[in-house]
Amino acid sequence: MRLRYHFFSLTIILALYLAILVPFTDSMRHKPVLEKLGIIPRAEVLQYLSADQKQLVAASVISKVIMYYGGLFSDGSTLFRQPPDFLAMSRTIHAALKVDPYNMDGYYFAQAILAWDVQQYKIANDLLEYGMKYRTWDWSLPYYAGFNYAFFLKDYRKAAQMYMRAGELSGNQSTMSLAGRYLQQSGQTEMAIAYLSAMEKGARDPAIRKSFQIRLQAFREVLEVEKARDRFKAERGAPPGSIGQLVAAGYLERPPVDPYGGTFYLESDGAVATTSKFSVAGAEQARKKGK
Amino acid sequence: MNSIIAVTLKGIFRDRVFQGILTAALAFLAIPSIATLSMRQVTELSITLSLSLVSFILLLLAVFLGGTSLWKDIERRYTFSVLSLPLTRSGYLLGRFVGIAIFLLLAAAVLGGAALLVVSFVSSGFPPERPVAWGALVAAVGFDALKYILLVAFAVLFSSVSTSFFLPIFGTIAIFLVGGATQQVYDYVHSQAGQTLAPQLRQLATALYYVLPNFSAFDLKVNAIYALPTDDRGLLFTAGYFVLYSSFVLIAAAAIFSRREMK
Repeated sequence: MRLRYHFFSLTIILALYLAILVPFTDSMRHKPVLEKLGIIPRAEVLQYLSADQKQLVAASVISKVIMYYGGLFSDGSTLFRQPPDFLAMSRTIHAALKVDPYNMDGYYFAQAILAWDVQQYKIANDLLEYGMKYRTWDWSLPYYAGFNYAFFLKDYRKAAQMYMRAGELSGNQSTMSLAGRYLQQSGQTEMAIAYLSAMEKGARDPAIRKSFQIRLQAFREVLEVEKARDRFKAERGAPPGSIGQLVAAGYLERPPVDPYGGTFYLESDGAVATTSKFSVAGAEQARKKGK
Repeated sequence: MNSIIAVTLKGIFRDRVFQGILTAALAFLAIPSIATLSMRQVTELSITLSLSLVSFILLLLAVFLGGTSLWKDIERRYTFSVLSLPLTRSGYLLGRFVGIAIFLLLAAAVLGGAALLVVSFVSSGFPPERPVAWGALVAAVGFDALKYILLVAFAVLFSSVSTSFFLPIFGTIAIFLVGGATQQVYDYVHSQAGQTLAPQLRQLATALYYVLPNFSAFDLKVNAIYALPTDDRGLLFTAGYFVLYSSFVLIAAAAIFSRREMK
């Protein structure tokens, strides 16, 4: 009798538990961004709070950001379900790297995602130079910084210094010679493609790999337009006025597609640009402006 | 005193603490899969997690074994029968401390071995950029054990004055937190930013720095995780610091305990 009573009450509780589980997990999934990422205390406070577990605290904070970022892609589409809070991610990563300045995941994520989407290149490079003081053996930090200097900041002298340093540390001559080849305005797109392909090959996290693939796709489109533009100019003696002209004249098979949702156009100096500025945030801004 | 050490160790094993450690050590099995969440430093993350797990288990042992051992004896009135034996009170107190210290070393050896196994397994699958610094890894576990033995000395000191377990447990946790922060506070006070503080406050912080234990000297995690070279001379100083500081705390505890009125 007693056994039956226990069994009965357990079954009811289990049924209630299962009934609440679905709405419970659903409400957890749709929590606001800030609640999910959490408000990370200032780095100085975090340092004291983490006692002798600094590396663990930093690693868990960084993995929180990576999982949040991965979750944005989870439905399998190439675009985000909701606009990501890049600034909150950036603040969080910076705080974690103050606590453990050696954590490579932090620098990698900052460079792979934040440098492009937050568009604060100076801050990104300050972070990388801070990391170089600690990870003195690591060639990838100066390599990233060199790319940022050359591609975003157009500071070719600084970029060359960084590439040289990366080459010395990796013992890889090709990094140095690559640097020489790409350190002019003309090689920008090829430099970006080479950099992004290398990054994409090394990416283990699916969300990050996907973001590299999208970016690569965008730059390959740019390269196609650039090649068509140069052929047009060589054959006709004058630069094309628009991308539409290139398509109409048969230099391009089809109009280029920006995977970020922006539109490609030719700037007055002939450079290929896109309204999205190669980021989802940029595409959204452009759309708002258009409205 | 030897018999007290033996009784302490037997008591710990009888309380199934060791089985508890082995159960907690099952968490090591999860480390390889958690470590693969890292994008660029899988082996480093496995070392971080292993060392943190070892450290956390040792902290619990230090606080609870150190904080409750003497209190339990007094509460159960064992001390009356024990102290009627031909044994000084200091001998009894030291015996309890040494017993717990030996158990901590044993636990550190077992957990450290498990950590080495986990790290060698992960590093064979995901070779790190720089080879794993096995020496630094062993040193990190060893110095962690020393740190928690010093913490046990504090727990014994608090037990020698307290009549309940509140002071030994919470006092020891407070010492653990304060000891981990002293070096940072000292560095901050003497940095450029610290110059804006009141001079009295800076002097007080400096004075406390020399009085309070400095646990950050025992923390070699960053060396073990990122294969940074260890400062052997500094480690020698740390070992000396450990011997002198824990002797000081234990002598103080023995002096207080010898004069304590037992009811």
